[in-house]
Amino acid sequence: MARRRRPFNARNVRRALAHALRMLALAAVLLWSGFPILLVVWSSLRQPRDIFAGGGNLLALTTRNYVNLWQRWPDFFHNLVNSLVIALSATALTLVVSFLAGYVYSRRDGRLLTASAFFMILVRLLPPIVITLPLFPAVNWLLLNDTRTVLVILYCAFFLSLGTWIMKAFVDQLPRELEEAAAIDGAGLWQTLRLIVLPLSYAGLIATSVFIMVFAWNDFLFAFIFTAVDAKTAPLVISEMVGAIDGVDWGILFAAATLQLVPILVFVILVQKYLIAGLTAGTVKG
Amino acid sequence: MKPSARDWALVFPAQALLTVLLFVPSLYVFWLSLTRSTYGQSPVWVGLANYATVLSDPYFWTATLNTAIVVNAVVFGEFLLALAVAMLFAGWIPWRRVMIAVVLAPYAISEVVAVVIFKYMTEPYAGPVTLALKAIGLPTLDWAVEPSHGLAMVILLSIWHHLPFTFILLYTALLGIPRELYEAAQVDGAGAWRKFCYITVPLLVPAMLVALVFRYIFAFRIFSEVWLLTGGGPARTTEVLAVYLYRQAFRYSDFGAAAATGWLMLIASLLMGSWTIWQMYRRMFAHGQT
Repeated sequence: MARRRRPFNARNVRRALAHALRMLALAAVLLWSGFPILLVVWSSLRQPRDIFAGGGNLLALTTRNYVNLWQRWPDFFHNLVNSLVIALSATALTLVVSFLAGYVYSRRDGRLLTASAFFMILVRLLPPIVITLPLFPAVNWLLLNDTRTVLVILYCAFFLSLGTWIMKAFVDQLPRELEEAAAIDGAGLWQTLRLIVLPLSYAGLIATSVFIMVFAWNDFLFAFIFTAVDAKTAPLVISEMVGAIDGVDWGILFAAATLQLVPILVFVILVQKYLIAGLTAGTVKG
Repeated sequence: MKPSARDWALVFPAQALLTVLLFVPSLYVFWLSLTRSTYGQSPVWVGLANYATVLSDPYFWTATLNTAIVVNAVVFGEFLLALAVAMLFAGWIPWRRVMIAVVLAPYAISEVVAVVIFKYMTEPYAGPVTLALKAIGLPTLDWAVEPSHGLAMVILLSIWHHLPFTFILLYTALLGIPRELYEAAQVDGAGAWRKFCYITVPLLVPAMLVALVFRYIFAFRIFSEVWLLTGGGPARTTEVLAVYLYRQAFRYSDFGAAAATGWLMLIASLLMGSWTIWQMYRRMFAHGQT
């Protein structure tokens, strides 16, 4: 855009000043949100001795910390795989369950159905820690303690209500005529769902998957209570690194934190649009 | 259209999971709160004794007070910050998509990594924030020693972590306000402040309420941040309710007291959500009858 030279007067000076202030505020916001994350990623690539040197060579980068992580905590990579398997399974399960329920809540009504939808919202108020109390003995009794399965099911249970709500909001926007036309052509409910509604609700499916994925990948509480050795997830092991008795090795810690945060951060940035749409659908339109 | 048996079958998996994993356990917690039990011992009925124990425990009141402080500071601090950022973003900014991605980034970070970051930044000898505070002559955060500093760290961390949520709700609502209103106000000679008070705020109220209620309910559950940062210490001074409950159950094996705490938390959650729940109830059942 070609800029005209503006006359130098009080009005334009004030406007330029306001603009400068806004850009300053923007810089502050970016620093607040982005700096801590960049700090982790960058520190993970620094010489271990430089991390606390308060300076050192700022650009002498190395993969030393990652090698150290590999040698000192070889299991961490197994834990990352656990996190991935659990997050993907929980997401898949939540998507199926929420899609089916969300469709019905969008297209059908009736007092009993409304009551069951209301029940769904109501259980969202339960603080998770309260539920761990009775579930802990039950999970032990079912021999599900320290398995990936228990985490998958719990994550799904806590997010399917939000998922159903998001799916309902997205199906609400689809024209009913398509389904009616399919019905006239003799398609059954199952075919209509699979061939018409499902492909058209991909935005809702992605939006739902962001929330459950981020939660399952990052959760500490449930992993802390329900896993011990085999099913441990990456966040849990990082918390053990912080509490290591022989002092914290910050280089290793930053390397582990970077490996844990980069994939999900990239995912969130890629689906940013759906995250925003899903959040408004799951809360405001509730 | 009324749901057929097949429609109920589609809803069944969702309802079954919620009932089995959330609803029945929460009822069981209520029963547990009326009994005394620990590992390897069958529960004995004690009536309201657990509630009496919990309510007369000074640590419970410390935890309640801390929770109240943390929740209010987080929710309102976050709200004001998110409103300011949303206002800034509603105007012209360069590379909007990239900028929004940066603001949303903390949403992707786990509580554990967030704690690692904040611990490092405020490390007493060489943390970047400690050094910066020292350089400009401000007091530093001694969160490991000073309980109020520990809570302040938890509050800062939570605001940092959850700003994206509140920001998105307010930002999308701001974008939904018709421009014509501002233009009309401009014609009538209204200044920026009057536009904010008479157009922005009234039209933003619904989104503001949703953001506040949701954040109240979620902030109230706070566990990991406190557990990982201070562990509730020193000497149980920075415990919040979820940490208190965890300690009762999994450290002292007093399931009755933990269950009583759990039910008190649940009731508090219901009260916090009651307004939105009531609104939804009215809207849903009004629709259901037509």
